[in-house]
Amino acid sequence: MLTVGSKTLPKPKLWQLFTNTSMGFRGKLAGALGAMIASFILLFSVPMITRSLLDHLSGEAPDRLFNLLLMLTPQQLSEDQTLVFQLSLAALIILLATASAGFFVYLRGKQIAEAAEGMARRLRDQLMDHLNHLPLSFHHRSDTGDLIQRCTSDVETFRVFVSGQIIEIGRAVLMLIIVIPILLSLDVEMTGIAMITMPFLLVSAILFFNRVKTMFTAVDEAEARLTTVLQENLTGIRVVRAFARQPFEIDKFAKANRLFRDRNQKLMQFLGFYYGASDIVCLLQVGLILFVGANWVIAGEMTVGTLFAFITYESMIIWPIRHMGRVLTDSGKAVVALGRMAEILDSETESKYEQTLNQPLTGQLQVSHLNLKFDQGPVVLSDLSLTINAGQTVALVGAPGAGKTIFLQLLMRLIDPDTGEILLDQHRLSALSRKSVRRQIGVVLQESFLFAGSVADNLRIGRSDATVADMKRAASAADVLSTIQALPRGFDATIGERGVTLSGGQRQRMAIARALLKDPAILILDDALSAVDTDTEAQILENLREVRATKTTIIVAHRLSSVMDADRIYVFDKGRVAQAGTHNELSQVPGIYQQLCELQGQIQADIASSLNAPKEVPTS
Amino acid sequence: MTDAYYDDDNFTDEFSTDQDITLGVWSTLLRFALRYPVDLVFLGLSAVVVGIAEISFPLVTRAVIDDAAALGLELDLSGYAFLYAGLCIALGVSVVGFLWFGGKLRSHMSHDIRAAGFENLQRLSFAYYDQRPVGWLMARMTSDCERLSNIMAWGILDLFWSFTIMLGIAGAMLIMEPLLGCIILISLPALAWVSRYFQARILKSAREVRQTNSRITGAYNENIMGVLTSKVFVKEADNLNKFGQLTDRMHAASITNAVQAAVYLPIVLTLSALATGIALIVGGIESAWGIISTGTLIAFLTYTRHFFEPIEQLAHWFAEMQMAQASAERVVSLIHATPDIQDSDQVLSRLATTHPEPLAEDGYSRTINTLTFCNVGFAYLTGQPVLENINLEIKRGQSVAVVGATGGGKTTLASLAARFYEPTSGEIYLDGVDYRERGLNFLQSNLGVVLQSSHLFAGSIFDNIRYGRLSADPQDVMIAARQAGAHEVIEAMSEGYDTLIGEGGTSLSAGQKQLISFARALLADPQILIMDEATSSVDTVTEARIEQGLRVLLKDRISIIIAHRLSTIRHASKIIVIDQGKIIEEGDHDALIALKGRYYQLYQQQSLSNLWQIST
Repeated sequence: MLTVGSKTLPKPKLWQLFTNTSMGFRGKLAGALGAMIASFILLFSVPMITRSLLDHLSGEAPDRLFNLLLMLTPQQLSEDQTLVFQLSLAALIILLATASAGFFVYLRGKQIAEAAEGMARRLRDQLMDHLNHLPLSFHHRSDTGDLIQRCTSDVETFRVFVSGQIIEIGRAVLMLIIVIPILLSLDVEMTGIAMITMPFLLVSAILFFNRVKTMFTAVDEAEARLTTVLQENLTGIRVVRAFARQPFEIDKFAKANRLFRDRNQKLMQFLGFYYGASDIVCLLQVGLILFVGANWVIAGEMTVGTLFAFITYESMIIWPIRHMGRVLTDSGKAVVALGRMAEILDSETESKYEQTLNQPLTGQLQVSHLNLKFDQGPVVLSDLSLTINAGQTVALVGAPGAGKTIFLQLLMRLIDPDTGEILLDQHRLSALSRKSVRRQIGVVLQESFLFAGSVADNLRIGRSDATVADMKRAASAADVLSTIQALPRGFDATIGERGVTLSGGQRQRMAIARALLKDPAILILDDALSAVDTDTEAQILENLREVRATKTTIIVAHRLSSVMDADRIYVFDKGRVAQAGTHNELSQVPGIYQQLCELQGQIQADIASSLNAPKEVPTS
Repeated sequence: MTDAYYDDDNFTDEFSTDQDITLGVWSTLLRFALRYPVDLVFLGLSAVVVGIAEISFPLVTRAVIDDAAALGLELDLSGYAFLYAGLCIALGVSVVGFLWFGGKLRSHMSHDIRAAGFENLQRLSFAYYDQRPVGWLMARMTSDCERLSNIMAWGILDLFWSFTIMLGIAGAMLIMEPLLGCIILISLPALAWVSRYFQARILKSAREVRQTNSRITGAYNENIMGVLTSKVFVKEADNLNKFGQLTDRMHAASITNAVQAAVYLPIVLTLSALATGIALIVGGIESAWGIISTGTLIAFLTYTRHFFEPIEQLAHWFAEMQMAQASAERVVSLIHATPDIQDSDQVLSRLATTHPEPLAEDGYSRTINTLTFCNVGFAYLTGQPVLENINLEIKRGQSVAVVGATGGGKTTLASLAARFYEPTSGEIYLDGVDYRERGLNFLQSNLGVVLQSSHLFAGSIFDNIRYGRLSADPQDVMIAARQAGAHEVIEAMSEGYDTLIGEGGTSLSAGQKQLISFARALLADPQILIMDEATSSVDTVTEARIEQGLRVLLKDRISIIIAHRLSTIRHASKIIVIDQGKIIEEGDHDALIALKGRYYQLYQQQSLSNLWQIST
């Protein structure tokens, strides 16, 4: 789980994120609302026209709208012709009004889509960029799945809010604002009757959906459980088979499957009651108008056309009002989603404003008195000092946890020390921008991450303008050229999930080629040859000496044989340098290094005794 | 983690759209619906009632208006009011009904399809799994099942409802005034065509949106996983740039989708206005001439507004089915796939008969004394052999250590012994009987496997160890944990054996996981024990502890041990060195050292981490 800032952020922060995100799209949002108003006015005019005609047909005195129609009617027509003309004119007006309303509906849809999608794109890009710039410590304490969910589902929730819920709320409000005056102009009393159930519908919908929230959550939980059981079974299928546990697994899955089914069913049936009941309320509301209105028509207090208009308007607005409860409760989710995104976007990134460095470096390193301790954790580095001269090949040796990898991370400014200083060619590392430090360093990690894409794409991560010849040279030095050439499409072969699967050793060698292509002032191999066999390891190290003749190379070694030829060996122990020197020096003095050599020697002796023919045991 | 984010469209082979609907797969799916005949009938019935009620309302309105005009003050509206209220209640109850029955049908169908799929997945062999990523299978079993049962339940509902409404409205209009009815019905084909056209396009662009969305999810995943690499290569700007292309595509596809919907709705509105206009002209004239009443005219005007909804719905479901055709085929194929490895008919018939007690359920001896590989060869893909001509005999009480470079075929050899795969040439015998003649369940329930990446299930540590023998009591579990050297480690945890692991629980180190899975295998008390790099991540102290227990445990079993750590291997009864699918060296430690071949080389060059472990 994301621990950083997991307390709820203050509202102003959320509002700020919203305003930043909507910058440049507010015009479109306003345009969408405008288009919506226009379309409503046009659509709502249709029942008025129909009303006039109906009243005329049933012999009422012409109203103002009909008088307008009369004015347009040519005088010399016969009675029937007049009727046909008036009807056709009205039909034409209805058609035009609807078509132009349609045009505004289209405009609304387009504008709102552009606004919502634009905002979603902005959020996605920002999140991606921010994630890339957040410090390693952030990534260590966050769960990948949780981060991804914030970047995908939460963005989607927000997008739906902009494109759906904002417009739904706007629609309901506008409808009422436009329809109520029309209704009032037709009949004040009947307007009151038409509005009787509205507050009740709205409030009960909000109450209802607040209640079923827990049911929705229960369904989500059941689904998550089902997914977990399924995923565990599929990823652990070997274990299942190895113990012949199929019946047990089927049973376990059946339980999760049933739970999901039953909760889903319950939710659906619960919703069924709500929709059924509220449908009845809505219909009774329309019925109320019909019957009260019919009485008034009989009593001559209302025309048939007015009644028709009321019924039509009522059915236009009542269902959106019922829907409003759902919309309002769902809008709450958008606030939560926005908050979850803000937690990422508010986390502090690695600073971007430091001195940048453009001249090439020699790779001279002066490390003095580094101290580092993680919160509440043990001391990681204590008073670590060492010097690496430009052009040297240096080996770091030490038990797991001795601080080698952390030291390398400090060199790349992935983390900063509590106290102490690293000088890179006389520049204080802490004063240089992280990016410019990293541009000077090439690194190969034990777990080499390759991106989905072609071999060439992956190599060009080292240097984007590398030519095929460059790549061949680097691949050859990393002893991976023949592997690449044996792939179906060579450098264009796709690797990763959808492509060729490479073995651990092949991946490591690809990563070495990638780092060599960068041709950095300092090359770091962090246990990068663990999956490569001894002969290949020796060959690659030999190649490196050639390629990197005058450049600094730091090797966290995997085998003793790869350490021996280093210009200098640093033995790490408990966060400090315990010993330093060449192989010849260190193997002569008592200490950790000598112990290691003796162990290797014992193995040789062991072999010798196995051979039953004692030979000279080499110690160096 | 990534797996959870696959959706149905993540694989290139599924990018083809607009497949023809084939009846075969849908009728298979329909059979799942037919398991609930009562619910189906009620679902259809409530749909019909809703339809009828919806058609009846304008008719009541018409009657009220006409009677009001004709009878004036003498009219008693209470009869109509009751009728109207009755219709309201019928409609409300039917809405409850269709959500009730539809909800049941939908969730049960998806449950049943999933259950059938899951059961078959438990039978299917690893070859099936090798060709399909876990994420792909997950998508079939989750989103596809939901989608298909959605189509089946709500599609059936809308089918009934739509036909009721269309027939009802058409019938009512034709009866009230045939001429006017005919004129309005003429607009129907145009509307159907428009709906089909747009619904298909809307769904297609929606699919593009989904595909892009899953790529975006993938990109986030990749970037988060590779954040260290991005940082050290200063690739932040490039990453954003590349990602920007994806979000641009998403932006464009989403807007296309929204605009299509935004065009479709106005067209339908306009078409319905056209029908209203015609109804108004013709109906108006007829009304003026007294051919029809005002009430009838109003009913017509109302009907023209509702006539189009069913067409929209039908077009929608048709397009949805077309889009889901691929999903349907994949789900049906998953349910119907036959496993490559299963008991043959002879074995099944032997399993069906009961055998006297000392014999196993397949009629052979319960104990396994020798496991023999005879000229065994294996290829995942024809023409690319992974193992060739393997001959090996392991007796009860013996252990064979398998050594060699990664990718040489060690794990495949172990998988063949476990009958996760069967040899593509040669035979494997259990006491002289080809293991294909024996029950699959017999072999696998006498097997203990400990893998390098030990898979544990979400739940308590206790439950995880007990997975080895479900009938084990707490005492047995603890004994096994002691033998595996896991007891102290477990006791040191906050809740001991009750500590929850997996999602939401404590996360264990690789070494801790290996210890627990080792205990799990021991609890199973298997006749054949396979350890694939089982102790690679435990520290030396623990390993020493395991090794002690191991020596006792290997005593009465057939064991295959794959290990890097040569200290573990030394003690095996026999060591085989595998390279490029062939056994190149064979013998005990001393013999192989004397050979000065590959084993000698490997042993000579211990890795530093090995040395560190020896030194501590």
